[in-house]
Amino acid sequence: MTDLMVMAQIAGRRCAMPAHDVQSVIELGTVTPVPQTPDFIAGITALRSQALTVIDCRRALGFPAIEWNTDPRAAVVSVGGFSYALILDAIEDITTIIGEPGQVTGGFGAEWSRVATGMIETSSGPALLIDLEALIAGPADDVGNLSDAA
Amino acid sequence: MDDLLADFVAETREMLEASEGEIIAWEADPSDTARVDTIFRFVHTVKGNCGFFDFPRLAGLSHAAEDALADCRAGRREPDAALVSAVLAIIDRIALMVDAIEAGEEFAGEGDDALIAALGADFDHDIAADIPTDTAPTHAPASTILERCDVSDDADATKKPDNTAAVQRSIRLPVDLLDRVMSGVSDMVLARNDLGHRLRQAGNQPTIDGPFERLTTILSDVRDAITRMRMQRIETVFAALPRLVRDLSADLGKQVMVDLEGGDVELDREMVEMVRDPLTHIIRNAIDHGMESPTDRLKKGKREIGLLSIAARQSGNTISIVVSDDGRGLEEEKIADKAVSSGLITAQQRAEMGREAILQLIFEPGFSTADEVSNVSGRGVGLDVVRDNLQKVGGSIKVSSQPDVGTLFTMQIPLTLSIIAGLTVEVSDQRFAIPQSYVEEIIHSSAKALDFTRVGETALVTFRGQRVPCLMLSEVLGLDEGDIAEGEHTMVLLRLASGDLFALAVDRIHTHGDLVVKPLAPAVMQNGYYAGSTLLDDGQPILLLDVTNIASEYGLVSDARTRVLQNAEEAETQAEKDVCRAMLFTDFDGRRCAVRLELVKRIETAPASAIDRSAANPRAVIDNMILPLIGLPDGPIPAEKIRLLRLSDGDCELLHAVREIDDAVELNAKLKPVKDDELIEAVTLVGDRTVSLIDGHELFARYGEPPETTAKPVCRLPGSDWARTILGPLVTSAGYDIAEDSSGPAEDGSEICIMLEEEYEAAAALEVPMAGPLIRLRSLPQAKPGEDTIYRYDREALVAALHKARVAGGTR
Repeated sequence: MTDLMVMAQIAGRRCAMPAHDVQSVIELGTVTPVPQTPDFIAGITALRSQALTVIDCRRALGFPAIEWNTDPRAAVVSVGGFSYALILDAIEDITTIIGEPGQVTGGFGAEWSRVATGMIETSSGPALLIDLEALIAGPADDVGNLSDAA
Repeated sequence: MDDLLADFVAETREMLEASEGEIIAWEADPSDTARVDTIFRFVHTVKGNCGFFDFPRLAGLSHAAEDALADCRAGRREPDAALVSAVLAIIDRIALMVDAIEAGEEFAGEGDDALIAALGADFDHDIAADIPTDTAPTHAPASTILERCDVSDDADATKKPDNTAAVQRSIRLPVDLLDRVMSGVSDMVLARNDLGHRLRQAGNQPTIDGPFERLTTILSDVRDAITRMRMQRIETVFAALPRLVRDLSADLGKQVMVDLEGGDVELDREMVEMVRDPLTHIIRNAIDHGMESPTDRLKKGKREIGLLSIAARQSGNTISIVVSDDGRGLEEEKIADKAVSSGLITAQQRAEMGREAILQLIFEPGFSTADEVSNVSGRGVGLDVVRDNLQKVGGSIKVSSQPDVGTLFTMQIPLTLSIIAGLTVEVSDQRFAIPQSYVEEIIHSSAKALDFTRVGETALVTFRGQRVPCLMLSEVLGLDEGDIAEGEHTMVLLRLASGDLFALAVDRIHTHGDLVVKPLAPAVMQNGYYAGSTLLDDGQPILLLDVTNIASEYGLVSDARTRVLQNAEEAETQAEKDVCRAMLFTDFDGRRCAVRLELVKRIETAPASAIDRSAANPRAVIDNMILPLIGLPDGPIPAEKIRLLRLSDGDCELLHAVREIDDAVELNAKLKPVKDDELIEAVTLVGDRTVSLIDGHELFARYGEPPETTAKPVCRLPGSDWARTILGPLVTSAGYDIAEDSSGPAEDGSEICIMLEEEYEAAAALEVPMAGPLIRLRSLPQAKPGEDTIYRYDREALVAALHKARVAGGTR
C-alpha cells in the first residue's frame, strides 16, 4: 500500500485522513457563525468564492467544548459534493500507510469508534483512520436533537 | 438527440398551429403588421432551431422567409399578395418537412429554390427602385439574390442558402460546460465586488476607476448573456395556461378566471420543462375536482366565477410555484377513508394523523378521490407522478386546503445556481441576506404608524391598516436581543408566495444588490432556516434566509385560508372606487399636510450638510443630484438629519423637507378646495383632523426642475488613457458628462465629440459620418495651416471651444 495520509491531531489523538480526500490546507480566515445549527458547526468561511462549512472536529466527535489550542490552519475536504474546513488540533505531516487498516480488540472508545475506519500503521507510528463522512455527520445525539427540533 | 428532435418537431407543430389563424388573417389583410410580427417570430424560431440540427433545407427556407418578413417589418418593403402567397407556400413546405422529419424520412419534394425565388422576385425589383444597389445597407436575402445569378454561379448559389452557417450560427454544448462557465462568471462577479470594495477603501483613483468601470460593464454584459444561455422565463409555461384553463373550464361547464403572477421569474431551461407537466396536472385537478359548477358556487355564496391563481417566486436556490383555487377544498374525511380502504394507512395510524398529514396522502401512489373517472383527470396517473417527478429534480410539493375555501398547492423547485437580488440585513452584529423578491416594503420603526404591539407572545405591527404578525429575527435565530428597544427595530415586510404578509424585525438594513447564491452543506441546511450562502463584497460569507421555511415554522403560512376570498374582495373594492392615497406628514410650521402618494418617489434622510441655502432657492444633494428643496423653516436647520420627501412628476424632481412623516392614508373624506394658498389644493379630513393637500401642479410649476445631472451635455472622448485621465477631468469641470465607451454615439448631434487629429484623419479617411460638434486636438503646438485644431495642452482654447459648443448646443 502506498496510500498517502494526512496526519493530524484531534483531541490529542493521532488521526489519519486519506490525502486524496484533502483538497488543501488553508489559513482559516473569518468564520461566520451559523445560528440554530448543531454546535460542532463552527460556521462558514470563504475560500475564494466558495463557501466552506467549518467543522470543529473535537465537537463533532462529541467531546466537550473546552479551550483547546487548535491549528490556525484547516484541512479542506470534500464530502458529498460539499466542501468543509476541518478545525484540528494540529496538522502534522503527510506520510504513507503501512499495511491494511486493522481493528483493535475492544474498539477505540465510544466517540472514536463511530468515526474510525480502523487503525493504521504509518512510518511515524499508529494512527486512527478517520471516516470523513461519519466525522462530518456530527455526534449521534446531536443528530437526534436536530430531528426533534425539525 | 432523439429527444431534442422530438422537441423540435413538437415545438414547430405547436407554433404552426398557433400561427395558422394569424396566417389566414394576414392573407386577408397583408398590411396588418401585428400578423407579420407573429409569422416572423415563427419563421425566426424555426430558423434558430434548425441551427441545432442539420436541416439545411428547412433552415434555408425559414431564413429566406424571415428576411423577407424582416424587410416588411422594417418598412423597407410593402407586403403584397404575391409575398403573402410566397410566405404561405414556405410555411406549408415547413409543415411538410417537419412531418417528414418526424417520420424519419428524407423529404423528397423539390423546388425549395423556386419557393425562395418567389419571395425574392418582387423584392429585388424594389431594392433597385428605392436604394442604389451598391450601397444598399441591407443584409437582405443574399441567398435570394444569389439565386437569381447566372447559370455558372448556380452551383454556389444553391449551396449558399443551404449552408447552415449562413443562418444564425449556433452550436450545442454539454450542460456541465455551461455550468462551469457560469460558476466561473459568478466567481468573477465576486472578485469584481471584492476589488470594488478595496478600490472604495483606497479612495478615488481615476487611473484605475475608469478601467474598473469598464470591467464592470463588460462583466455585467457577459453575466447577462451567460445567464440567458440557461435561463428561461417561466412565462413560457404560463403563456399556455390561460388557454388550458379556458378549454378545460368550457369542457367541464365551469367558469374559471385565471390569475398569473411572477411570469418574469427565470429558471433553468431544463427546469421549465420539468415544471410544465406538474403544473398542468395540478391545474387540471383544480378545475376538474376543485372548482364547483357555477350553480353550486352561487348556492354556497361564492362568486360564480372561480378564481385560480398561479404565482411563481424565487428564493435563493428554489423557485416556489403556488397554485391556489377557491373551490370546494379537499375533504379530509374522504381522503382518510380512501387511504384506509386502499390499505395505505391503518385505521390506527389515521387516528394519530393531523389534518395536514392526511391531506398530503393525495400524493401517494394510486390515489384518486374522484367518484368517477372523468376524461380530464383522475385517470390513475395521479399526483404521485407529479411528486415523483418533482422529487427527481430535488423539488417538493405540498398541499393545504380548507373545506369550501380552496386548495393551495406549493411546489418548490431548486435552481442549481443562481444570482438573485437580495437585501442584506443585520441583527446582533451578524449579517443575513433576504431575497429581494419577498420584500414588500421596509419600514423604519420610528414611523409612528407601525404601532408595534404584543398580543400574548405574538408581536404585531400595523401596515397599511392591517395587523401583520412580526417575527424578531434575533429570536428566530436565537441570537442576543441587542440593545435596540422592542418596537424600535427596522421592519422588513415580506410577502410569501402564498400571499401571506409578515414583518421581520432586524437591527438595521445594509445594502441590496446581486447575490451569488451557493448551496450550503446539508448539516447547515437541515434546520430549514437557510436557503444558501453568499459572499459580501469583502469576501465574508453570509447566510441567505429561507423566508418561506421560517414563516411556516412559525405557522405564518395560511392554509389557503381566506386568502383567495380576500383577494376577490380586494379586487371588488378596487373596482368600486378609485382610492386616492396620500402621504401624510407634518411640515416645519407644524401643519398637517398630505401629498398624493403617486408623487412621492422616495423618502430620503439627508444630513444638514447636504443642504445648500446660499442661493435664493435652497437646494440639497441627494444621490449626487442637486435638487430644489422647499419646506425648510426660516431659521437654522433644526436637526442634524432631516427627512425629505422626494417628489417626482416623471421628469422633474424636488424635495420637500418635513418635520415628521406620518403614514400613507386613503383620502376618503370630501376634498374642500382652498383659495387663499395656491400651494394647497384642498383641505380634507383624515381621522377627524384637517389636512392640507398639497397641489402637485402648482408645486412643480413653481419649483420643479429636472435634476442637474441629466441636463448636462455629453462629450465623447478619444478612447485613450490620456483622454480619460488628463482630458476627462477638464471636460467634466467644463460641465460635461463623459460619454461611456460602450454606448454608441448619439445620432442626433446632441453630444459633442473630441477627437485626436490622428483619429480624425482615420475617421475622415473611412468616411465615418460625424454627428454633432467636433473638437479636434493636435499633438504639436504648431498648427498645420488651414486646419481647425487645438493644441492638446492649450487649456484656454479648449475650455473656450467646449463652452462655445455648449452654448451652441443649448440654443439648438
